[in-house]
Amino acid sequence: MTGELGRLGTVVWLSFRGSVYGARALGLAAFAAMPAVIVAAIASARPAASAISDSALALFGLLTLPIVAMVVILVLAAAQFRTEIDAETLVYLSDRSVDRSTLVVGKYLGSVAAALVLILPSSLLPLAVAILGGGSAYGSGVPGAVAAAAVLATLAYGGFFLFLGLATRSALLVGLIFGFLWEELLPLLPGDVPKFTVIFYLRSYLSSVITSGPLSGYGGALDGSSAAAVLVLFGAAFVILGCFVFRFLETAPEKESV
Amino acid sequence: MTGVVVADSVTKRYGEVLGLNGFSANFPEGITGLVGPNGAGKSTLFRLLAGQLKVDSGRLTILGEPAWGQGEFRRRIGYCPEPPSLFDWMTGNDFVTTLLRLDGFSREEAAARCARAMAEVALTGDGNRRLRVYSKGMRQRVKFAQCIAHDPELVLLDEPLNGVDPVGRASLSVLMKQFSAAGRHLIVSSHVLYEVERLTDQIVMIANGQAIAQGDLHRIRDLIDSRPHVIDLETPDPRLVGRFLGAWDHVVSVEFPEPGRLRVKTRSPDEFYAALPGLVVTEGLTVRSVRSADDNLDAVFRYLSEGRR
Repeated sequence: MTGELGRLGTVVWLSFRGSVYGARALGLAAFAAMPAVIVAAIASARPAASAISDSALALFGLLTLPIVAMVVILVLAAAQFRTEIDAETLVYLSDRSVDRSTLVVGKYLGSVAAALVLILPSSLLPLAVAILGGGSAYGSGVPGAVAAAAVLATLAYGGFFLFLGLATRSALLVGLIFGFLWEELLPLLPGDVPKFTVIFYLRSYLSSVITSGPLSGYGGALDGSSAAAVLVLFGAAFVILGCFVFRFLETAPEKESV
Repeated sequence: MTGVVVADSVTKRYGEVLGLNGFSANFPEGITGLVGPNGAGKSTLFRLLAGQLKVDSGRLTILGEPAWGQGEFRRRIGYCPEPPSLFDWMTGNDFVTTLLRLDGFSREEAAARCARAMAEVALTGDGNRRLRVYSKGMRQRVKFAQCIAHDPELVLLDEPLNGVDPVGRASLSVLMKQFSAAGRHLIVSSHVLYEVERLTDQIVMIANGQAIAQGDLHRIRDLIDSRPHVIDLETPDPRLVGRFLGAWDHVVSVEFPEPGRLRVKTRSPDEFYAALPGLVVTEGLTVRSVRSADDNLDAVFRYLSEGRR
């Protein structure tokens, strides 16, 4: 017999494998390749070396992080429970002796791992394409900071979207509203309102660790480690909330056959 | 009351729709059939027992524990849900092994138990194929494998024979009997009384979310036997199969409602279901599925339900 940790590993693996399989994963991979394709197109126009590199970084702040990563995480994390409830496969997991919280945490980690398989290349490949296309080299900490921001975004959004998948049958719709209205509009408002968005902390982190180039003035007012801590805690808080919700959640599909 | 499952005035609503309406029954040890027409509340009861749903009122226990409960006692229960959905990207072996791992078995133990369970349902040769290529019958068998692999005390089977070919039905029925003979308990739901009757004479009959009869069913059988039983078969050659079936004494009529489908009316469903696998094997016929059209059974349930009011 193995303990809860062994069961957690099984759930993580199951969730990861299920997430990277099939047409949905292929579609997301194509979507995630968009930034690299755009940078390649810019490079092909032969602008100045610094312009190619800067455009790759700017694209990370404007497209990869707030749109590509957000959509990839939303689709993968929100689907973890909702799709399985509707497909009536969740029962195979929930009627086992595994603790329900283990299922939630395992599915969170599995979906985060699967999202990172798509988001990390989507974040780093444009930088590589920029250099290969004649762009100037980045400072030594830039690729690491970009990768860390992608990981933090995945952890934070992943927890929230996983929770949405448990809390509402319209997780995708609510997630899109959150991503494209809340996250895009609130940062434009004055005062402390932007602090109620995830993107505020991602921008704070990036502008704190990348001190030159387009991302250095990306916004946010918090130091990097505090911003990172807020993002990790934000994701963890929603995973804990998800554990609580799932403990009391009925998991039969809505289209009920009596 | 004592029993492996005890329901006391259990009610479950889906908004305005009543899934169970004061359902009370005692499921004893051994094999018990839960029989009722489509929409009677069988799946609702199973979902309550599997911990997918919570009762709105009343009391429902399984192996002495509240049905909504979670945790280690779930390892004493095996559940085979009705929907054919599976993790299609997995192989049969992956599916069974993964679920065993969720029950806390080590990798080696899970692999050994999976091999045994897949052998019992005659899927050893198909264990490394992806579930998406499994036929309906194979899906039922792999679902059965996952629900017995951890050696549970009680197995819940929701319409396990639905859509399975005649040979598969016979072998699954044998498996259920073997499982019961080993001291385990089974609750098998079906809308086809004759399927369940061949497994056990302990029956709980359900209609409109209520238990309308429990125990001996000879009285009900007599009612049903007076009406021809309608059976639909799916086969690529309905006329050939129909020619053989039409020659049987108890077959009242053979119809061809649509291409690839055959409708048979028989006065002796017992004989029909017993003889069909033999005919298929000896004549080399292909019968993809056998389904009981339950119109006549509905009438009997209506009769019984009205009699209780």
